[in-house]
Amino acid sequence: MQDRTRNLGDLWSGLVLAALAIYIIAQALQWDYLTPEGPGPGFFPLWYGMAMLALSAALVVSELRRRSARGTAINWTPLGRALSTWLALAASVALLKPLGFVISFALLTYFIVAVMYRRPLKTAALVAAASSGGFFLVFQLALGVSLPVGFLGF
Amino acid sequence: MRMPLRLVAVVAFIGLCTTSLAWAQGFKPTRPVEAVVHTGPGGGSDVLARAVAIMIEKENLLPVRMQVVNKPGGGGAVAAAYLAEKKGDQNTIGFFTGVWLTNPLMSAEAKISLRDLTPIARLVLEPAVIAVKADAPYKTLADFIDAAKKNPGQLKQSGGSITSRDNVVRQLLQKNTGTRWAFISFPGGGERIAALLGGHVNMMVIEPAEAGEHIRAGNMRVLAQISEGRLPGFPNVPTLKEAGIDVPAVPQVRGVVAPPGIPKENVQYWENVFRRLTQTASWKKYIADNQLEDGFQTSAELVKFYDEFTDRMRGILKDAGIKIVR
Amino acid sequence: MEVITGLSDGLAIALQPANLFWCFVGVVLGTLVGIMPGLGPPATIAMLLPLTFAMSPASAMIMLAGIYYGAKYGGSTTSILLNVPGESASVVTCLDGYQMARKGRAGAALGIAAIASFVAGTVGVLGLMLVAPPLAKFALAFSSPEYFALMALGLAMVVLLAGSSMLKALLATLVGLWIAGVGTDLFSATSRFTFGRMELLSGIDFVVVAIGIFALGEVLANMEAPEQAQMVPVPKGLRNLLPTLQDLKDCRFAFVNGSVIGFLVGVLPGAGSTIASFLSYGVEKAVSRRREEFGTGVPEGVAAPEGANNSETGGALVPLLTLGIPGSGTTAILLAALVLWGFKPGPLFIPENPALFWGLVASMYIGNVMLLVLNLPLVPVFAQVLRLPAYVLFPLILGVSMVGVYTVSGSLFDLGLLLGFGLLGYLMRKLDYPSAPLILGLVLGGAMERALRQSLMMSEGSLTILVARPMSAVMLLLAVLILLVPLFGKFNTWRLRALEQKGG
Repeated sequence: MQDRTRNLGDLWSGLVLAALAIYIIAQALQWDYLTPEGPGPGFFPLWYGMAMLALSAALVVSELRRRSARGTAINWTPLGRALSTWLALAASVALLKPLGFVISFALLTYFIVAVMYRRPLKTAALVAAASSGGFFLVFQLALGVSLPVGFLGF
Repeated sequence: MRMPLRLVAVVAFIGLCTTSLAWAQGFKPTRPVEAVVHTGPGGGSDVLARAVAIMIEKENLLPVRMQVVNKPGGGGAVAAAYLAEKKGDQNTIGFFTGVWLTNPLMSAEAKISLRDLTPIARLVLEPAVIAVKADAPYKTLADFIDAAKKNPGQLKQSGGSITSRDNVVRQLLQKNTGTRWAFISFPGGGERIAALLGGHVNMMVIEPAEAGEHIRAGNMRVLAQISEGRLPGFPNVPTLKEAGIDVPAVPQVRGVVAPPGIPKENVQYWENVFRRLTQTASWKKYIADNQLEDGFQTSAELVKFYDEFTDRMRGILKDAGIKIVR
Repeated sequence: MEVITGLSDGLAIALQPANLFWCFVGVVLGTLVGIMPGLGPPATIAMLLPLTFAMSPASAMIMLAGIYYGAKYGGSTTSILLNVPGESASVVTCLDGYQMARKGRAGAALGIAAIASFVAGTVGVLGLMLVAPPLAKFALAFSSPEYFALMALGLAMVVLLAGSSMLKALLATLVGLWIAGVGTDLFSATSRFTFGRMELLSGIDFVVVAIGIFALGEVLANMEAPEQAQMVPVPKGLRNLLPTLQDLKDCRFAFVNGSVIGFLVGVLPGAGSTIASFLSYGVEKAVSRRREEFGTGVPEGVAAPEGANNSETGGALVPLLTLGIPGSGTTAILLAALVLWGFKPGPLFIPENPALFWGLVASMYIGNVMLLVLNLPLVPVFAQVLRLPAYVLFPLILGVSMVGVYTVSGSLFDLGLLLGFGLLGYLMRKLDYPSAPLILGLVLGGAMERALRQSLMMSEGSLTILVARPMSAVMLLLAVLILLVPLFGKFNTWRLRALEQKGG
């Protein structure tokens, strides 16, 4: 049986989109809908905000109706892995300013190879060093494209 | 034992002398200079900065290279913020335009104004002309104004954003003559010209250099020029004042700024570089070729100009119905 | 005939050894630039401008043009192999190209892309050469109402890109429209949805969204089960390393479609190659016999958009060279280059500089041939990239994405946005929201709103301007028809079912 990620996902995404739609409509109402010269900045957002609200409501409703559908429990593991990779990526972006691209990217690669793929640590270190070094050579030196530099100067 | 000490003293003395000698010579950039512009490659500021870099190299006005760095976004806000962040940096300058002056007036997010940076010099004024399609029934600006009077709100002008110089000219003209016509914004210069040549709008404000070729091909006609005196390329076209409309010529300005917190002698150094630039033959040729007006001002004059300009713009923008935040 | 003499003069110029050399340099550089996401032709041309002063203007123009259309060839490579759009127009190639690669047919996809690019690129140059002046008049007749109708037609194509859930496709399109609206409104100087951040004042860059949703989303999805990660299989056997004759036969219409639509859209100032590729893809899907298979990896789905974005280059040069009007970022900087070299682009440019024009046209034919010869043999080489183990390839994709975005604006804020869109791309994948409609909404949304407001300003508030003009009326009618197609389908099944019940 399909797991219930889809069902819960539909419900929650519908609610989130409905909330976004309400935000859009609220903002659009603060701007001019029509000005003497033509439609104002609030015109388009109001219309697509309303469309978004209607459609997301329809999504939520159709999902609530389908509540009777049975499915297996949600498998959180794959979701967790993807999200932890995303967190590692976010961390490496946050570290770009202090540590510079080369080091942050090397750390990210190390994480992915060692933790996600569970390769031996030596392989992870090798891949991390090789790819971040490669980026440095190709972009910074060969192409002259400046990558973020940290306090170490590279 | 005494020998090494004396040696140290001599070395220190020599070191002190050379450093003070360097100080006495004043500031000189030692690394390539970063010239920040707020447009992408090909945009107005970018083209000017690149041309300036080439001229400076040709005339040997700087001991190092000048490199153009594009920081587009936010109508100049991103570039201005970038310069503000580089406080004290002696190897960075920026090329500003009128947008840098007006944006902070209307946009709450654009927090950095020219006053927060170090003004260096004003370089050029870009005049403009009022153009119509060649087969339009208007031969003079008065014809156009009359037609606008007879059909209020029906004539159309193509231009940039509502805060651009195109609309400022329109606001001034409308107020001065008591007429009204529509303003249609197009994001790209190409689209504005296409709208005029395709007959979808009646008039536009355009830079003389852009209009030149279309006039030569016989597709466009110029009704008036927006400048202090007649431009050499348009000897037969009246200025706004000569056409009977007494409004200030609204120049599009371009100039140079530097990050905040740099020493006074740096400001003087840069001022001198650009003063010498405006006196060279290649600069004069550039001005003539591109139909610009030389508008060199020193940093002190620039500050005064900035205050006058922003005060005037506040009034004009308010009349145009734009919310002023500063 | 004037064209023949012009072309022969041009060939004489283009075949000079120096110009052949610079043409080669240009197309190779262009291909490399196209492969790299983020770095695009405008920035590259700007960087090379100072060097061009040492060359003759003809050679310089030949080289810069080579970069321009060469980039379109390169953009498909990363789109097909890695699902990373190398250039904004290559986004559409990701849809079927990457799926073909997943089926082990990466080589065929790359080959089809190269061939389609060659055919369409050549047609584009032909168009530039033969019909430039009358087409320029056509471009001038096209104004805001027609633009609006064109964008509406493009958006209606979302119906064709929907996939399983129309509801989710429409929601994705609306989110795309919203993202397009972030920034400063042109007409009123109001900031919309900027959350007080100055970096959002000029909107969100398309590249950031596309790379985030496609590339990062793909990598994150693969992280779910890395050990069983379905790596893109390396194409085995000649059948999969190059397109087969059957593939080429299937793409017959796509070649024509891409060439024509790309060229025509390119001629319009302001419409871009992304719009051209979407329109061409949509049309191809609409007329294809196997339209349900689009999105799963059909060669026509690669040939049509790739062709469109190449012939768009020829089209975009039409307003530049015949009117002096730049239609896109790259043509704007080419215009600046011409001015810097002392030329005056405008309606009299071609009559006064025939040598430059015909030399350029001839070199574009040669350049397209060079690119075909360069790219086809390289296809098996590129396909070997897929041999890299997943744990090397995926971090590489992440790195290339980060660098690509950083080179566009040099802003860490954009990298933060990239992260956000990466997460969005992953969630969309997980929850079955199709990403193509979002990109479509993003690309068309801003242009459509502007065109509508401009039209209403032109007509002083009257909507009839949209249907009073023939071209816009026709396109709007087509859009409405396309939107009704699924309804017809449903209506038909309902009718058949009713008939069955009656008969049984």
